Amino acid sequence: MGSDRSLWSEAWRDLRQRRMIRACLWGILVFTLLAAYGEGVYRWYRLTDRTPPYQQVNLQERYLPPSLFRQPFSYDRAGGSTVHLGYRERIRKGVQVLAHRPLGTDNLGRDVLQRVVQGARIAFLVGVVTSLIAIPIGVILGCLAGYFGGWVDEVVVWVYSTVACMPGLLFILAISMVVGKGLTGVYLGIGLTTWVGLCRLIRAEVMKHRDHAYVMAARSLGYSPWRIIFRHILPNVFHIVIITFSLRFPASIGTEVFMSFLGIGVQGEPSWGVMIGNARLRLWQGIWWEMTAVTAAILIVVLAFNLVGDALRDALDPRLRARDNT
Amino acid sequence: MGLQWDYFIVTRYIIRRLLYMIPTLIGVILITFILFNMVGGSPAVMTLGKNASPRALEEFDEQRGFNKPLLAGWWTGTRALPDTDFRDGAGIWREVAGAEWVQAGPGAGALRVAPGAPSVLPDAFPLRTGTTYRLQFVACMPAGGSMRWLIDGKPVGMEPEQAAATWQRHVITFQAPDQPQRGRMAVEVSGGALELRSVRLERRMSQVYDSQLVHYFRQLARLDFGESVATNQKVGTMLRRGMLPSLMLTVPIFFGGLVLSISLALVCAYLRDRWTDRVLVVVAVALMSVNYLVWIIFGQFFLAYQLKWFPIWGFESWRYLLLPVGIGIISGLGGDLRFYRTIMLDEFYKDYVRTAFAKGLGPVSVLFKHVLPNAMIPIVTSTVVALPFLYTGSLLLESFFGIPGLGGLSVNAINSADVDVVRGVVLVGSVLYMVASLVSDLCYAVVDPRVKLR
Repeated sequence: MGSDRSLWSEAWRDLRQRRMIRACLWGILVFTLLAAYGEGVYRWYRLTDRTPPYQQVNLQERYLPPSLFRQPFSYDRAGGSTVHLGYRERIRKGVQVLAHRPLGTDNLGRDVLQRVVQGARIAFLVGVVTSLIAIPIGVILGCLAGYFGGWVDEVVVWVYSTVACMPGLLFILAISMVVGKGLTGVYLGIGLTTWVGLCRLIRAEVMKHRDHAYVMAARSLGYSPWRIIFRHILPNVFHIVIITFSLRFPASIGTEVFMSFLGIGVQGEPSWGVMIGNARLRLWQGIWWEMTAVTAAILIVVLAFNLVGDALRDALDPRLRARDNT
Repeated sequence: MGLQWDYFIVTRYIIRRLLYMIPTLIGVILITFILFNMVGGSPAVMTLGKNASPRALEEFDEQRGFNKPLLAGWWTGTRALPDTDFRDGAGIWREVAGAEWVQAGPGAGALRVAPGAPSVLPDAFPLRTGTTYRLQFVACMPAGGSMRWLIDGKPVGMEPEQAAATWQRHVITFQAPDQPQRGRMAVEVSGGALELRSVRLERRMSQVYDSQLVHYFRQLARLDFGESVATNQKVGTMLRRGMLPSLMLTVPIFFGGLVLSISLALVCAYLRDRWTDRVLVVVAVALMSVNYLVWIIFGQFFLAYQLKWFPIWGFESWRYLLLPVGIGIISGLGGDLRFYRTIMLDEFYKDYVRTAFAKGLGPVSVLFKHVLPNAMIPIVTSTVVALPFLYTGSLLLESFFGIPGLGGLSVNAINSADVDVVRGVVLVGSVLYMVASLVSDLCYAVVDPRVKLR
């Protein structure tokens, strides 16, 4: 992609110069690392066939508030004792308290922080896997329709306008109901329904490129259509894929939260939706920390992705802004 | 709006568009067919559960046409005798007298039927009278001998059949007896033992094209969406009843959100790049990023439960709608505001706006008389297409606030795997979407005189 390098590097420089976007990129990096860590923990405990720490029930420590709200640096008043600890001792104890269940525990005494990290893992998986389903469908169909036109185009347009007719969330839920509850249902439901917008954009863009001189040149050199589409045209429209990816990532996280909350999504694992559903019942008893932790996690991740996606769109293709309503 | 609103042109246009709708409608029907009839497991099992009796499952399938061949064909499965592969286990064949499941050794994973008195097959319910059945099985008789299949004690065919010493596929076709008898199948083995590897019973249809697909199309042609399993009501009735509460919730959300976001977008566009605009944009992105669930939970908890400003749950008077409507507006505001702001800004840099300001018009007049009508073009297309989703209601709002509309209905239906209801809502939703996109194109022509209907 020799000639595009300037576009990409310029966009990258553009993004890095804005402080807000830089913060968001760091946020996304941390989210990715946490997800990877969560995956490691998950795999390790499955491999060794033990209960992972985020599932360990500890009834003595139910409803433990976040450590900051447990007065970590105050006197130890347990049992009415008024022993004055030394300064260093108090700091040491305080840090100990802070490090123990930093975000508190839920109704079964499970560590909220570890569960939030597991939720990050699931959210990341959902974002990536659904993109891996939706983006190839959208790109391939869009390229074929745009390049070949004619009946291929008509068939593709028929397929995507049919899918576009289906009522969004309900269609997703119906797919996952048919496939069966669980992550696979979530992946398929979101992945198979959210490729239409990308397909439309790619189709329109490829149509424009079809008559450009470089495509004509490639055609007159006798290259096969596949080579022209995927080696010549696709790199020139690839920024659409990047932008779509960064904007659909948070959307699919949100959908997963819905589905898991409704009980159709993830089963038996602490996804953010499952945690919200769980925490919602406790909220009425004044247990606010689980809810707050999950809400904040979702907000930060989705906000970071939205801002970066927007900035990417502005940097790579400002014309896309008005075209889709996201 | 002169000539092009010729009655004839509009009618021709609408007819053409309606014709274009046919392939899409067929596509939608096919997608729901593929989804509910082909991809998933049996809808009967999904709805009634794994422990339902085969008879109940068969009745469910019979009522909904799920026991017919998928696309076309003479033969279709029946639940009277479960399809069994003895390599996986013996299932209900364990209780068959004179038969034993061979677990290990030579001939492992087979059912050995000993010679002697007839062994009655473990059928779940009688065969249909006067219907032709076909029994397919893979069998061998290592020690030689012969077998005879019996229906109500009467042999099928004349001669006892021989089976080879190696695995071989056998097919016997027979007619279920006409008399209202039990219609039990049995096998009588003589000589050496018979070993069965797999068994499948099929029923013959009276017509080749009497398939699930045709049944589905016929049902839809009668506008019959089936029957809910949970409530035993007609799905059509349920959809009609749920529509009003849904609309009472979504129409105010739609118009409220539209008015609010468009006016805020105008403010943003007018004060572009000043702090009001910047703050509003940041707030919009933040609003967008808050999950819908969070709005609902916090709204219900703080505003309704703690502050007692609104009723928490129910559908008794207009006051019950206030909170859900407010939440609906707020949650959609962020995205809409940003979208409309972009549109407004695109208009704002055009020459006619500068001219309007230059000739001394006030901001209100420029905004509402000049910018807004032009910005309406993209707004109309995006909003009218959103109209049919008003009908499906808001799944979450309705189930959280106990509003008996279509959204809550669908959530319940999905949770209880009520196939017909889900399918009905999906179908009607997509048809409404098609109609709305037609209306949207017509509106497009109304607001933009440059658009010509073809």
